Amino acid sequence: MPMKGRFPVRRTLQYLSQGDVIFKSAVKVMTVNYNTAGELSEGARKFVFFNVPQIQYKNPWVQIMLFRNMTPSPFLRFYLDSGEQVLVDVEDKTNKEITEHIKKILGKSKETLEKEERERKKLSHPATFGPKKYHLRECMCEIEGQVPCPAFVPLPKEMRGKYKAALKNEASA
Amino acid sequence: MSVPRGAVHAKWIVGKVIGTKMQKTAKVRVTRLVLDPYLLKFFNKRKTYFAHDPLQQCVVGDIVLLKALPERRSKHVKHELAEIVFKVGNVIDPITGKPCAGTRFLENLSDSENLTEADTNYLSEKLQELKVCSSDK
Repeated sequence: MPMKGRFPVRRTLQYLSQGDVIFKSAVKVMTVNYNTAGELSEGARKFVFFNVPQIQYKNPWVQIMLFRNMTPSPFLRFYLDSGEQVLVDVEDKTNKEITEHIKKILGKSKETLEKEERERKKLSHPATFGPKKYHLRECMCEIEGQVPCPAFVPLPKEMRGKYKAALKNEASA
Repeated sequence: MSVPRGAVHAKWIVGKVIGTKMQKTAKVRVTRLVLDPYLLKFFNKRKTYFAHDPLQQCVVGDIVLLKALPERRSKHVKHELAEIVFKVGNVIDPITGKPCAGTRFLENLSDSENLTEADTNYLSEKLQELKVCSSDK
């Protein structure tokens, strides 16, 4: 049973997380003005259809507004925290070119992203174990080189409390 | 930590004016795209904000940029009007700077000056038909 809709791949988490435009923290609002008909607006229409969900998924705190058929020329407008506005003309551009352009002008660079990733990794220690939310592994039995979980592989006789207690009784008796 | 702006989470927002019945205050509807967790599709979610508009220059239907006030002006008003982005009925295309409506520019419109060849031919044909009808009678 296939998914409903024209390009249902747009509605998968894998597709959404593939978006690589992450805006700088100064960008607050993104406005897209485009037309529903006309060759010049084709790139903008594809951008709205394919790329805007990816951008919104990666930037949940940026307000994105779409305006249709308000002006003859399609454009993007960004409102930054400093009050500055960035106008991007997208007439006659493909949606790939538009994403590349905004990534270059307002996206976080790869170095910044890597630095943030490293900062986040520093907070959590990978060798500890505990609840899945905070650690990689839940129990010591999951770590390679440790005793496997007795639910799957029975413990050797010498480690079982039953055997140890029997030995102790024999020794004392 | 300084708080120059922001008893409020939203510092700058863009919305549409839906009411101006209050004195010096505009009621603005702001839509954000929110992901539905099951369908994984974005839908517009609306929220209304009240904005201080001292000159009462907003009309219902304007698209407006609001800026958060440093502290709340009254119980509900936490933003003020920064700029009218698109005035209703008077949209100016920011790229060319010309007034426009929908997908056409309004600059060059006048009654008889900009009629194309096809228009003049059509009109003259219609006039011919009228002449024929009147001669029959």
